[in-house]
Amino acid sequence: MTLLWIPLLTLLGVLVPALTARRGRGFCTLATVTLPAMALLLTLSQVPALLDGELPRVALSWIPSLGLDLAFRMDGLSLMFATLILGIGLLIILYAHFYLSAGEPYGRFYAYLVLFMLSMLGIVMADNLLLLWIFWELTSLSSFLLIGYWSHWTDARKGARMAMTVTGAGGLALLAGFLLLGDMVGSFDLGVVLSSADVILADPRYPVMLVLVLLGAFTKSAQFPFHFWLPHAMAAPTPVSAYLHSATMVKAGIFLMARLHPALGDSELWGWLVTLTGMTTFLYGAWFALLKTDLKAILAFSTVSHLGLVTALLGIGSPMAILAALFHILNHATFKGALFMSAGIIDHETGARELGKLGGLRRAMPITALLTTITAASMAGVPLLNGFLSKEMFFTETLDTALLGGLGWLLPVLATLGGILSVAYSLRLVHGVFFKPAKEVPPKSPHEPPRLMRAPVELLATLCVAVGLFPAALATGILDLATRAVLREPLDFHLAIWHGVNLPLVMSLAALAAGITAYGLHSNIRHFARQFAPIDARLVFEGTIQSLVARTQTLTHRLENGSLQRYMSLLLGTALLLATLGLVELPELAGDKPTQPLDAMLVLGSALMIFAALGTAITHRYRLISLLMLSVVGLVVSLTFARFSAPDLALTQLSVEVVTMILLMLALFFLPQKTPQESSASRIIRDLVLAGTLGMVVASLNYAVLTREIDSIAGFFIANSVPGGGGHNVVNVILVDFRGFDTLGEITVLALAGLAIFKLLNRLRLFMPHSDGEGRVWSPDRYPMILTTVSQALLPLALLVAAFIFLRGHNMPGGGFIAGLVTAVALILVYMARGVEWTQNRLDFPYQPVAIGGVAVATLTGLGSWLFGRPFLTSAFGHFHIPLVGDIELATAMLFDLGVYLAVVGATLMILANLGKLTTPHRPTKEAPAVSRKETPAPPSEEAPLILDTEKSQRPSKEKA
Amino acid sequence: MNIPTWLDALIAAMLLIGAIVATLGSLGLARMPDFYMRLHGPTKASTLGVGCTMLGSLLYFSTSGEGIRVQEVLITVFLFVTAPVSAHVMAWAALHRRVHCSANTRHPPWPEMDRAPVTEHAASSAPAGDKESAD
Repeated sequence: MTLLWIPLLTLLGVLVPALTARRGRGFCTLATVTLPAMALLLTLSQVPALLDGELPRVALSWIPSLGLDLAFRMDGLSLMFATLILGIGLLIILYAHFYLSAGEPYGRFYAYLVLFMLSMLGIVMADNLLLLWIFWELTSLSSFLLIGYWSHWTDARKGARMAMTVTGAGGLALLAGFLLLGDMVGSFDLGVVLSSADVILADPRYPVMLVLVLLGAFTKSAQFPFHFWLPHAMAAPTPVSAYLHSATMVKAGIFLMARLHPALGDSELWGWLVTLTGMTTFLYGAWFALLKTDLKAILAFSTVSHLGLVTALLGIGSPMAILAALFHILNHATFKGALFMSAGIIDHETGARELGKLGGLRRAMPITALLTTITAASMAGVPLLNGFLSKEMFFTETLDTALLGGLGWLLPVLATLGGILSVAYSLRLVHGVFFKPAKEVPPKSPHEPPRLMRAPVELLATLCVAVGLFPAALATGILDLATRAVLREPLDFHLAIWHGVNLPLVMSLAALAAGITAYGLHSNIRHFARQFAPIDARLVFEGTIQSLVARTQTLTHRLENGSLQRYMSLLLGTALLLATLGLVELPELAGDKPTQPLDAMLVLGSALMIFAALGTAITHRYRLISLLMLSVVGLVVSLTFARFSAPDLALTQLSVEVVTMILLMLALFFLPQKTPQESSASRIIRDLVLAGTLGMVVASLNYAVLTREIDSIAGFFIANSVPGGGGHNVVNVILVDFRGFDTLGEITVLALAGLAIFKLLNRLRLFMPHSDGEGRVWSPDRYPMILTTVSQALLPLALLVAAFIFLRGHNMPGGGFIAGLVTAVALILVYMARGVEWTQNRLDFPYQPVAIGGVAVATLTGLGSWLFGRPFLTSAFGHFHIPLVGDIELATAMLFDLGVYLAVVGATLMILANLGKLTTPHRPTKEAPAVSRKETPAPPSEEAPLILDTEKSQRPSKEKA
Repeated sequence: MNIPTWLDALIAAMLLIGAIVATLGSLGLARMPDFYMRLHGPTKASTLGVGCTMLGSLLYFSTSGEGIRVQEVLITVFLFVTAPVSAHVMAWAALHRRVHCSANTRHPPWPEMDRAPVTEHAASSAPAGDKESAD
């Protein structure tokens, strides 16, 4: 379990800076450092176990159905990287303490930094491919936050976005690759994957998978042609650059290749892809590092170049090449981390980063000059420093590999060329900043940084020298563990400075000499390079992204142009196509079941329905008539339900029909009563053909389904309704018990829809027609006496009926939904007869709490079953004897049904009453000008329609006149 | 089924009257010359016609051995309550819209009421007149 604490402590460490930021900067830095430092100690405490040949591992099941485990391992490779991540991370925090200026939100910065540290730790320690991928994406996210830390600066935002897009896209490719890999091996467990190299290499999907995985690694490690994000990520604060681009983020891709090398690396394809990409990147980065003038840009391109070097070594893939790769990772982290921090110091103390503005700084900051010279020399590969050792190993490996066959001599030549370039740019960096006479005075007078700010650089530079002098003593231990993890067997090697006079040494010396010469000819080189038009990667990238956006928008506009007709035709056309394809496959339309005999009622009913449906379509331009036709269809449908023994459905359909009609009538008020003919003839034909064919296809489909025996789940519900749900009404038991969770979701949606409509209607000002289609103003008589009287008399009756329907629901046709609709309709009738104002004075409560309360009652009923140790929404029922009433059956489902009832009543009234209210409040009246809104210019004689009118006045126009 | 003959005859008479009234009401709806007269047909059919049919049904099922039936009573009550409301509202709307009436209709509610079919001129003049009186 110790292993689990390493990421866990770091995770907790994310919160620390946020909590302690108020206590002052020093305290915050100290507190932030504590937890990662403990994690580092824990990591190092694993060393004895590793030396004994054990593999510390911890695994907790997370989502077993996906193969995702919370599994961590600590082998030599993880140990090496974890030490780098935590060790350099701590130095960076210390450095950032001095680097950030006082006003900046350092708490946030530390939190992002530790978050990034956590995600990197997750990558190197994950023992499950999916877990590794999750942390991989987390690095993309947290690096986005870090690179864009100075979010007020457009370059930072653009750089962050670019890094996020490139590495995120690579991450998706990686996920696809991992899924393929997991499918080949049958497990996402890293141990299993690493030991199944035979299976993986033999699989026909190997090339696809390899390319996908490498895409992920190359984008992350800024390999050509995905390198362009890295220089732009330099918009980040320097501590971030030092951390992300020396030791961590860009090394994640390298780590991944090293990690999966045992499983994927033993193939020609791997060798070609990885080595050539690496070599290209190596040269490309080195060339541009030589041309850039910004300190951080030089370092960024040199990072790209060195990443290419390591990648090329991993591609060569011999045991010694792996060793060299790992060694160079360590060395690069030390010298590049130090160089980035030095660049930050120079920037911080002089205010300039351009080579043209700097120069002669060795007098002002001698110690920094010394440190930078040492680390830059290490980068160039000067003997007696650590960079020399690994670079020489690289030269050796390029000589030894048989990769390119007859062209094998090309690799060492290219490697030497890269070496020459790296000597030249290192020299240029040091000479240009510290030794060359200054051309202009820097913005700030330069001086040495605070002692502690320099401390991390000093430590890293010392390491460079120490490892360079005593490689065997200092680096052998950790490299042995790490190579053992990659090669899966111990490698016999010893690191030494002197191997005698051999070809690699000659190559090194030649590179040094040629590099110095190249720097001497630097102005010529720059002059030569100026002939080529510079390509700004940012412009290219933004251009690509923008054209992509424009193209997708064009596509979206074509599909989604705001025309309802278009959506419907697309939707129906697709449905038509699919249904037709299915129907064509049927051998014959009719199944085995005999059809029912036809009687007069059926014929009459269907004729009526067809007539009304046709009428609805034909008269659609006369909205009121069309609506009446539609209501006929609805009524016949509910009669059909009643005829075919579905009384519940019939009742529901009837009440829904009534509510819908009222709703449509209300909406109709705002629309013109007639619509002009808008569709062209060709369009009408298209619509007719589409609708007609779809109707025929759906009818055939129904016929085919109804004439066949279908093995449905209905039998289960009928058999279990009484024993399982305690009710004889199967429909109701399904609604409130078997599928109670669905119902809960539905009433939640209903209540939400009601709330949304309430919110949308609030303060909505619609056009109010003041007269009907023929220009007659609305009737002055509001509330017909007969209707008023009858509605009041009917209200208690209707409520009684609703209560009756509700109570019998569990055993007989009925239930909360129907009862709710009946109640709503009864109340709406009162609204219509007496007006909103009269009614609301008497129903003095808002409907929103009713709907929400309904959902709450249903949810609480469901939660209640937890109290009895049952799953959510388990229902209980029993028989009780009540005096006078007799035996009665009560079920908790009834309580749930009460929730349904309340939700339906609340939501329906919320919609209808508010829509009705909309027709009245802002309307100016003649007799009460104070009530009228001044900004509403309306004809003076405007009147509300008959229904839903709040104005209590009986507009006596004669009086006024 | 031991219904006495006189009761049988009564039930039959009820059904017959109901059917005749319903037919007459439907005929009236189809044949009457103007809206106001046409309104009479269905109101009679839905009250007297359906009422008689319900009464017959009530008598038959109540005496055929299953005890007193209340469904018919309820249907009748609801019909009697709702039919006048809808007829009233319809007539009212027609008056508001000044639907023209035939020359034979007696007691027009206002003397200037159109007796000819509604013309465009008549329709557009209505709001103007109203506006005048309002101002």
